[in-house]
Amino acid sequence: MNLTVNGKPASIAADDAISVSNLLETLQVAQREYVTVELNGDILDRDGFDAATVRDGDTVEFLYFMGGGSL
Amino acid sequence: MGETATGMRFDTKLIHGGTAPGPYGATKTPIIQSSAFAYDTAEELEDLFKGRAIGQVYTRIGNPTLEALEKRLAAVEDGIAAIVTASGMAAITTAVMAIVRSGDEILSSASLFGGTYSLFRDTLANYGITTRFVDPTDLDALAAAVNDATRLIFVETIGNPKMDVPDIAAFAAIAQKSGVPLMVDATVSTPYLARVKELGADIVVHSTSKFINGTANSIGGAIIDSGSFDWNSAKFPHFEPFYRKYRNFAFTARTRKLIHKDFGACAAPLNAFLVGEGLETLALRMERHCANALKLAGFLAAHEKVAWVNYPGLPDSPFFEVANRQFQGRFGGVLTLGLADKPSAFRLINGLKLAKNLANIGDTKTLVIHPASTICADYSLEVKALMGVSEELVRVSVGIEDARDIVADFARALDNL
Ligand SMILES: Cc1ncc(COP(=O)(O)O)c(C=O)c1O
Repeated sequence: MNLTVNGKPASIAADDAISVSNLLETLQVAQREYVTVELNGDILDRDGFDAATVRDGDTVEFLYFMGGGSL
Repeated sequence: MGETATGMRFDTKLIHGGTAPGPYGATKTPIIQSSAFAYDTAEELEDLFKGRAIGQVYTRIGNPTLEALEKRLAAVEDGIAAIVTASGMAAITTAVMAIVRSGDEILSSASLFGGTYSLFRDTLANYGITTRFVDPTDLDALAAAVNDATRLIFVETIGNPKMDVPDIAAFAAIAQKSGVPLMVDATVSTPYLARVKELGADIVVHSTSKFINGTANSIGGAIIDSGSFDWNSAKFPHFEPFYRKYRNFAFTARTRKLIHKDFGACAAPLNAFLVGEGLETLALRMERHCANALKLAGFLAAHEKVAWVNYPGLPDSPFFEVANRQFQGRFGGVLTLGLADKPSAFRLINGLKLAKNLANIGDTKTLVIHPASTICADYSLEVKALMGVSEELVRVSVGIEDARDIVADFARALDNL
């Protein structure tokens, strides 16, 4: 399954769909308790990570409130 | 927050909560005294600035030593996130400015630390933010003072130096009913007397310079986000983009990404390390601070030359009942006493040999000060009265020395008045 993750192509060992929780685990996303997930431009509810599904061709962004922005 | 924090009792959490193993098996996060952090590629730094990746960039924004303390303080207060700052005043200023805008109003307890009073009454007033002060024991007056412009309710757990103890849960109920957050300065009570989140505090602020640091070796502050306030509110349109992206982290996100970053009152890594050292022994020290304060209060209350003693742990204190319930039988390490007049107060201070005459609380050492001529000297008689500061009043921050030596020091100085 091919995705665009944080603007870069990413290949995931999954057939056609996995949950966002699963994706966070698979990609070993850092500090998962804080991460915001944007799926195809929509911000997901934190408690919806199990239910939300990522499919081939989707665009996923991981965002953190800790850093970023112009200094 | 932090897997290790769950299920631990409070004293254990002070030591282990929110901690992570250090490099080389170190049991401490080292003091990373570096202003900025380098990356191999331009792409990595781009991701960090876009908030797509997590990592250190610049110490004003974040630093591993600061982050380690933030996670520990969040765990101790049962919060979802914390921000450490250069001082307690920096914590209050940053947290308040993250919430209110020009035209907004703060509803505050009148019984405040002098610096906070000055911030609210004078400094913020110059930026179009009005503060209404109410007697924190008059809950009807508090509820009646809420209006359409109110955006924040502020209170100290134990008024410094008034030593009054407001009912925090009642404050929280009024804040909740009014749709505004409750910010609680828990410096004097410390997390040892109460986790104010449980009482309904949405945002907790501390001057870590005091009991949390504990040995008076550095100035610091902290903001802890309980994660309880719903920022998805028409009263807070400026939180909308942060709520949309970060949901219950909206307050911490707005504070970090905007206010804390722009005001720049970041803590120094060395100071954060020292605060973390203090945090480990907070419970042990507070137990002794409380026990010693109760002993000294009892001694002073029975002394013929002492006109009155204000300590919420004395059964005849008007705040005994609420303090006893709210703080589960612990009353803190600060008390005030009244003598005949200002010259007697000065003679007492000058006669003490162990207790140090200085402007601080929360040290291992017993400290005294005459607030009317020092930390509250700039205020009018009217304001001093509001703060409970009179000419004959001496404030004592009771240390963790042997209580017999503290009592003997006061006994000798009182005998020689
Ligand atoms: C209750 C209270 N809040 C805030 C402060 C301010 O903290 P700092 O001196 O660390 O700026 C102090 C003490 O100075 C205090 O006693």
